[in-house]
Amino acid sequence: MNARTLRALAPLIAVALALIVPLAVSDRFLLKVFTFCGINALVVVGLALLFGYAGQVSLGHAAFMGLGAYTSAYCTVELGWPWLLGFVAAGVVAALGGLILAIPSLRLKGYYLAMATLGFGLLMSLAFIQAEPITGGVDGFSGIPFPSIGPVEFRSASSLYWLVWGAVGIAVLVAHNITSLRPGRAMRALHGSELGAQACGVDIVGVKVRTFVVSALMAGLAGALYAGVVGFISPSLFTLTASITFIAMTIVGGTSSLAGPILAAVALTLVQYSDALIPGLPRETAQTIQSYQEDIYGLAIVLIVIFAPRGLAGLWKRRSAGNEAS
Amino acid sequence: MTLLQVRNVTRRFGGLTAVDDVSFDVYEGTVKALIGPNGAGKSTLFNALTGFDRPDEGSVVFEGEELVGRKPREVVRVGLARTFQNTQLFEEMTAGENVMVGSQARQRRGFTTAMLRLPNAVAEDREAREDASRLLRLIGIEEWIDVPAADLPAGIRRLVEIARALATRPRLLLLDEPAAGLNATETRELVQTLFRVRDSGITVVIVEHDMGLVMEVSDEIVVLDRGAKIAEGPPRMIQKDPAVIAAYLGGEVDDDV
Ligand SMILES: Nc1ncnc2c1ncn2[C@@H]1O[C@H](COP(=O)(O)OP(=O)(O)OP(=O)(O)O)[C@@H](O)[C@H]1O
Ligand SMILES: [Mg+2]
Repeated sequence: MNARTLRALAPLIAVALALIVPLAVSDRFLLKVFTFCGINALVVVGLALLFGYAGQVSLGHAAFMGLGAYTSAYCTVELGWPWLLGFVAAGVVAALGGLILAIPSLRLKGYYLAMATLGFGLLMSLAFIQAEPITGGVDGFSGIPFPSIGPVEFRSASSLYWLVWGAVGIAVLVAHNITSLRPGRAMRALHGSELGAQACGVDIVGVKVRTFVVSALMAGLAGALYAGVVGFISPSLFTLTASITFIAMTIVGGTSSLAGPILAAVALTLVQYSDALIPGLPRETAQTIQSYQEDIYGLAIVLIVIFAPRGLAGLWKRRSAGNEAS
Repeated sequence: MTLLQVRNVTRRFGGLTAVDDVSFDVYEGTVKALIGPNGAGKSTLFNALTGFDRPDEGSVVFEGEELVGRKPREVVRVGLARTFQNTQLFEEMTAGENVMVGSQARQRRGFTTAMLRLPNAVAEDREAREDASRLLRLIGIEEWIDVPAADLPAGIRRLVEIARALATRPRLLLLDEPAAGLNATETRELVQTLFRVRDSGITVVIVEHDMGLVMEVSDEIVVLDRGAKIAEGPPRMIQKDPAVIAAYLGGEVDDDV
């Protein structure tokens, strides 16, 4: 099988594999781990658009996830809205957050943008603690209902898995449409040279703002899904550490790619749950791995930046280009 | 017919007057060269014409429309495309993709139509793709279409940037030192390309240090020195102009030269 057919078939194989997981995996906790992989993948798809394609860094993406999670929790529990409406509201609120964060991106680049987004993330994580009447403060928000769409309620581990990965599938489709057509080229152009992009008539303000909004929207929806899947959220979930984890997944996954970051999101999420993944792994070993989790992420970034600056996606592209040449 | 009117354009950087009260016209269908020693203000003037910089004084009128104060993206939509002295390619994108971005200047479909993959977004994409391969063929570099810009030789990079500018479908093409970094063969090809561009009805303004090329392609030349226009006219007159010779030699005119 040559590289081209493999590449054309890869998405289909990935979808088929993702769909049959709940049929093959009976362990409910393991299934939940794979569901978390999907939630992180959803955040990372949005971040791949922003960072991997448009070259705009965000060290505050957990804040958007938090905005979505709290919005959905508040709308369903306090306001009694149907879950789907709360889900939409979560997307809207997070997108508005993205619109606000887009403003500094119009003036700042590189490290300065990184600092601005980091500041935004810190500010929001404080807000989640301080806004106690809405968020429940440090104790968090509990009793969030399971997701439901009309009469269909997603209670079982496998139905939650399908819901989350279904959302990932739609996000990937939308992101693929964006990246493969005109906006995606505008994003990559902006990344390559803002002067060159302007000379081509690219509306760089418009592209940056739209990309921030779409990216924040995806993180917000992921947050709402998390709240529904777990039923409990707290400020400790949406911290700087989480934001850095997301950007780590995106960097390891590689630039100008969706598949690479998704793969990295899944792989790096699994590191957190090594005990569920490897049956019979002694508790202490699992705990050791978990306590080194951040070091593992750090190491992954360092290795990628040194040996494969274009990430997993870059390695794959180089290999398939080599195959086509031979 | 006058396509572009430059009137009394002045640009100061602190105490330095980089462009000093420069005026000239560009006629449709001609090639106009802008020459002058290093630091004469040629690139600064280019930036003022294309919206990348705002002149302190003066006006730039293209077909009756004032361009001063417009954004680069608006200027390119009006019909002025440019290249840069330091090529501004999108390094991770292929030559073909670089040229496709140029098509965005005249495309209208945005984020939403692309997200939903509506037929007109797809049609626009196909059009841009066809345009890119046609332009690379026109310039004679179609074999580089799938090569990332970062891997292109210097000469090809300049030509890709010209193709990208042409993809915006300009009426006026402004080239800032297109022959810099080109070898003799590539320069010959560039000259042919310039003639082809002109013959297709596109007016050209070129900044260039290669005098052989300038004399061959241009209908008229404007000479800048320390920001000011010191001469204007057809190549043969400029070659003999004492002020021009003085500027290039950096001293007084010597009758023996
Ligand atoms: N942004 C800026 N700030 C301050 N000075 C500038 C700026 N841009 C250009 N200059 C100065 O203006 C003068 C004209 O520069 P410009 O780049 O326009 O010259 P040029 O004719 O294009 O020269 P070259 O042939 O070397 O490209 C130079 O003295 C330069 O140092
Ligand atoms: Mg210059």
